[in-house]
Amino acid sequence: MNDAEPAGPLDGLRVIEVAGEQGQFCGKLMADLGADVIKVEPPGGEDARAIGPFLADEPDPDKSLSFWHYNTSKRGVTLDLECADGAIAFKRLVATADVLLESRAPGHLPSLGLGYEDLRAINDGLVMCSLTPFGQTGPWRDYVSSDLLHLAAGGQMASCGYDEADVPDAPPIAPDGGNAWHTGAHFAYIGIMAALVQRTITGAGQYVDASIHEACALTTESAVASYVFRGDEVTRQTGRHHSPRPTPRTQFRCRDGKYVNAIVWGLTPPMLRRLAEWMDSHGLADDLLDGRYQDTKFIRANTDHIVNDVIANFIANMDSDEIYHGAQDRGFTWSSIRTPDELLDDPHLADREFWVDVPHPELGTRYTYPGSAAIYNGSPWQISRRAPLVGEHNVEVLRDELGLADEEMRQATGVQGNPTSSR
Amino acid sequence: MTSQPAAQAPRPLEGIRVLDFSWVRAGPWATRWLGALGAEVMKVEWPETERGRRTPGTTPKGVDPTLNNSGNFSDTNANKLSVTLNVRTARGLDLAKRLVAVSDIVIENFSSRVLSDWGLGYDELCKAKADIVYVSMAGYGQTGRHHAYKTFGPVAQAASGLTFMSGLPGAPPAGWGWSYLDDTGGLYGAMCALTGLYRRNTTGKGQHIDQSQMITGVTLTGPALLDHTVNGRASHREGYPAGNRAQWPGTTSNSYRGPTVAPHNAYRTDPGGYNDWCVIACFSDAEWDELRRLMGDPDWAAAEKFATQAGRLQNQDALDDGIESWTLTLDKYALTDLCQAHGVHALPVQSSADRVDNDPQLRDRGMYQPLAHPEMGTFKLQNAPFRLSASQVDNTRPGPMIGEHNNTVLQGLLGLDDETFAAGFNDGTFWPESMPLLPYMEDMLT
Repeated sequence: MNDAEPAGPLDGLRVIEVAGEQGQFCGKLMADLGADVIKVEPPGGEDARAIGPFLADEPDPDKSLSFWHYNTSKRGVTLDLECADGAIAFKRLVATADVLLESRAPGHLPSLGLGYEDLRAINDGLVMCSLTPFGQTGPWRDYVSSDLLHLAAGGQMASCGYDEADVPDAPPIAPDGGNAWHTGAHFAYIGIMAALVQRTITGAGQYVDASIHEACALTTESAVASYVFRGDEVTRQTGRHHSPRPTPRTQFRCRDGKYVNAIVWGLTPPMLRRLAEWMDSHGLADDLLDGRYQDTKFIRANTDHIVNDVIANFIANMDSDEIYHGAQDRGFTWSSIRTPDELLDDPHLADREFWVDVPHPELGTRYTYPGSAAIYNGSPWQISRRAPLVGEHNVEVLRDELGLADEEMRQATGVQGNPTSSR
Repeated sequence: MTSQPAAQAPRPLEGIRVLDFSWVRAGPWATRWLGALGAEVMKVEWPETERGRRTPGTTPKGVDPTLNNSGNFSDTNANKLSVTLNVRTARGLDLAKRLVAVSDIVIENFSSRVLSDWGLGYDELCKAKADIVYVSMAGYGQTGRHHAYKTFGPVAQAASGLTFMSGLPGAPPAGWGWSYLDDTGGLYGAMCALTGLYRRNTTGKGQHIDQSQMITGVTLTGPALLDHTVNGRASHREGYPAGNRAQWPGTTSNSYRGPTVAPHNAYRTDPGGYNDWCVIACFSDAEWDELRRLMGDPDWAAAEKFATQAGRLQNQDALDDGIESWTLTLDKYALTDLCQAHGVHALPVQSSADRVDNDPQLRDRGMYQPLAHPEMGTFKLQNAPFRLSASQVDNTRPGPMIGEHNNTVLQGLLGLDDETFAAGFNDGTFWPESMPLLPYMEDMLT
């Protein structure tokens, strides 16, 4: 980092990460906020390096775009934790750390003599978080999982799907994007940060046992409250909230084939008038300028006509961008349903300097990455480097900083020959 | 491991005070967790505007909705105190600033710049408390040309790309059946607050953290964005999104949730009800072989076309039909236990009733714990998804009744005398003049 630039909010914090797809996002959250996150991978690299998409669609441990995204700003070393030299080097590394984030199967690290009790003995300020599918206890503790499996058991799928009229006999749908892993990482981050704040007062670390299943089960808004407080179960509806009772649709198709989300229930007479005047400027107000619509009861009684005839027809004759900005300019909380690639051209994101050009010196180029959910005024979020290549920082971290001799490093990283490349 | 901490163990944020101007869902979901972690959260609200209290859809059946009996409000606002204060009066604003002076964190999720228009912008807050950590959670953030755009969860999801990424190919977007970005936007509010607090404790400096709900959604589409910025791949393409599959047959591109494998789908289970579904995925040939064995080695599954990952991906329709003919004979929990006992990835699709009543893991971990509410009675609330070895993080109280803690905060903390306190109820500072006082407010004044 340039000396003139202010440091991120987690500057000075050292995190050791032993994590696959379950936990790597939590490490990224800390790394981009300024923590020195050292990712410890097995010889040959994490399994998560085998997850696509890949650069030019060519599978390669150093070319997984998924791995690139979830491992920005980290340094990477390889250690064979199953051999004594690797475990010893790992302990030396953990002795320098504030946080250990791990997502191995419950019991795995303790079986190598690297459980919380073992590590606390060498670093009593350590905050260790195990972020695992079901936590460290319970009948499902050792069950295997995936993003899809978590979205099923967590309740996401029971809430997502289609109206019968749109897709007859549709299955429950698990939204794409890896959001079970995201959800677990968000709560793990909260647990870790709470323990770190407490440590600023007490000086003592502690163990955080985080469950992705529980995190997902918490993330369905009012579905659990509907059941607990009323005994209601929800049904799935296209592009809008699950509900115990059918609700008016909110997703409409535009002239350009894209869709918009337009919440049109609860219209008051002034809102309806504003809407009708906008539609009338395109000759599409139908009868909505009629004085009878200046009465809330009349609006309610004619919701079906207003929504399914007039508004749907108006939107069908407009482009999605016109609807999105035209509605927001008039105080309606609507949006077009945008695709990820459309966002690169969003001027609002540009105004907030959201996108980050990240150098990939190994490829002699730079690529555009998404930025931060928040602007941290005074201590900026930033991507300090692209994701590490396999074993990229073995020499820098293990030899130069930790003081391992070349031979010790070779033993610990589980490779013969050049320890900077463990493949 | 994880021995449970002793019941009297401290909470991690003990001694931290949060002034909470948030409302509806995203902001209140943020401060709920700070409360569970031990912070003293003072929810500043006004009865005419907190829509979160007006959600009769979760009021217990047979009870007339009031400001105090929304179940979803109670769960969303657990672990907080409630203070009614009209910040748009001079006296209310002055008291708000006095509360800032004794707080560590201020959080709000109004539309952009509303709080600064009221005279409670970051610079003003710093005059009251130099090292305040101020988290704003507007839909589009406080800066940028569309900062004034408004959001609900579903609208932020649509604008961020998340809605598009959910559904079946060739069908309209299925989107998200709830305000995922109220839940997750809320978590980012809590994450920002904790990050700012940690920085304050280590550097002595406060700051303004400007979170955007919509942009939070954009950050959750990373691999899809890189597939475009690096590979030039269009987001809108044949076979994407691929429903519950990792890849749609006949296409070659990835989805963005993990390895590209088949089977990877939802299947109906016995007895065929609305939520009688399970999901199954096999991440290797060996796992597929194990599933075949569990299905009783049916002839169809022995076909050569299913022997390799590539073949299974290409022939998913037949593969999924075959698997479902088996899953339809089993209950979703029995199927889960059978598959998992043999290392095959399977879990049930669970409704809310399933999670609260039938999920053995959530029951064992104590996810839903009953708490008594003074008006509604005793109901279960959702607990934290992590345990701390040396600290407590379970819920301490249900959502507060409106203005329930006016005397605790305004008299106990700020030291208002009885006369001033009573005057505020009569001049529209602590309660609207148009609304009758609630019984517990009368009690505070006697």
